[in-house]
Amino acid sequence: MTTARRADPARAGNPALLGVAGLAGLLLVIELAPRLGLVDERHLPPASRIAAALAREAVSSAFWVALSDTLIAWALGLAIAVGAGVLAGLVIGSVPVLRALTASTVEFLRPIPSVALIPLAVLLYGSSIGSTLLLVCYAAFWQVLVQVLYGVADVDPVAFETARSFRFSVWARIRHVLWPTALPYVFTGVRLAASVALILAITAELVIGSPGLGNQIAVAQASAAVPTMYALVVVTGLLGVLINLLARTGERRLLAWHQSVRGEVAL
Amino acid sequence: MLEVKGLRKVYRSGSREVEALRDLTFTVDNGELVCLVGPSGCGKTTLLRCVAGLLDPTSGDVRVDGKAVDGPPPGMAVVFQEYGRSLFPWMSVRDNVELPLKQKKVPKQRRGELIEQALDAVGLTGTESAYPWQLSGGMQQRVAIARAVAYEPRTLLMDEPFAAVDAQTRADLEDLVRRLWKRLKVTILFVTHDIDESVYLGQRVVMLSSSPTVVQDELVIDLPAERDQLTTRADPRFIELRTRVYEQIQTAKKNAGK
Repeated sequence: MTTARRADPARAGNPALLGVAGLAGLLLVIELAPRLGLVDERHLPPASRIAAALAREAVSSAFWVALSDTLIAWALGLAIAVGAGVLAGLVIGSVPVLRALTASTVEFLRPIPSVALIPLAVLLYGSSIGSTLLLVCYAAFWQVLVQVLYGVADVDPVAFETARSFRFSVWARIRHVLWPTALPYVFTGVRLAASVALILAITAELVIGSPGLGNQIAVAQASAAVPTMYALVVVTGLLGVLINLLARTGERRLLAWHQSVRGEVAL
Repeated sequence: MLEVKGLRKVYRSGSREVEALRDLTFTVDNGELVCLVGPSGCGKTTLLRCVAGLLDPTSGDVRVDGKAVDGPPPGMAVVFQEYGRSLFPWMSVRDNVELPLKQKKVPKQRRGELIEQALDAVGLTGTESAYPWQLSGGMQQRVAIARAVAYEPRTLLMDEPFAAVDAQTRADLEDLVRRLWKRLKVTILFVTHDIDESVYLGQRVVMLSSSPTVVQDELVIDLPAERDQLTTRADPRFIELRTRVYEQIQTAKKNAGK
């Protein structure tokens, strides 16, 4: 990052401006490609028609219901996964026996793609929000758990001995040493989990048909409303960007003391 | 009073055994300032961790005011060499100093007084809201000392606290330790590998042998109580004493080579 900033400013240009220009270029390509007949308009409508479809969606109540369904499933699933992941991570991480005992199991369960659990989710919950939650929780949980385990392992022995020498209680050592050390890792875990949770929420809705944006995309596709389908895809993309942005801002605020955030300091 | 009797520590990892401390016996009287000096790798830190109750000795015992140490004893504070890791980077200077007091259940008002006095004593008034990593190394170690002082310990253990600061800062901090010791009348066990530092600071210097460690010799430092960096270090008696300590350490190293 520092090197990028130090690069020749004239040649590098304003990054925000360049980003906007890139986006405009992409829109232009999507607008022109179908109009010039480079791609079939039935498969890729011009950007302006997608935008029009998006505007229509924005005033339809079904869209807002679907959006809130997706967001609720995402937020609830993420919250459960983060809560369980943090708790399990702190407990497993601070008890060496537990850590050794669970290491191979975690390594076996973690790589199972959440989508492989779709049949199980359908069996258990049909096409209700429960299906979405199951997949979201499963995928997000491992992201958090693994990061918390790293975080707990990163506790500085000197900091820990300092706490011990001042006779901190077990709870105080967790609260004042373990937790702040693990917090940056927790944040990384939450950020990763938030993205994964969105992917799984949309996937579940799309494949299982549980209520939400994914389901709306499937419906649009089935009824040949291609611009609407694209419009909804754009919305899911925007959601992803927004979630990442929120997570990063929160991280920066709460971890102002951490090396990765505070940067170089005078003195 | 701090008593160390027949202390032995053997580290085991698998079938390998390393005898870090063989047989250590010494005492530190109440209100005394004793420096422990030894060649590098002689197990000074191991000894200090045993005294602090952070490490269980293999045999022998440590007693503070007659009570056997089997965990960090009350009324003891430790200043570690690695100030940057010993202070909590997620807390301001004030919170760092305050946290042990909260753990000790000191009432809020009294905590405020203690923090103010301690920071004033180490010359850090006005840095309460700064984070440790915004301060220089010497200032960080002052914060760690302030934290220990505010805790109102009867015994203060210092583990090579100035090994990582520059020479000028080190001289200032040495004088600070002497001042605090006289004012607070605490018992200080100061571990160092710096021979001059041990003679300058201590009322008594305990010299350790190379690992496996025993007490090589003890020396009473009969320099005047008022010491300062220029005159004390130029005092012929100081030079005589430092030579004695130096010779002992050299002997210890030679014996270890045999």
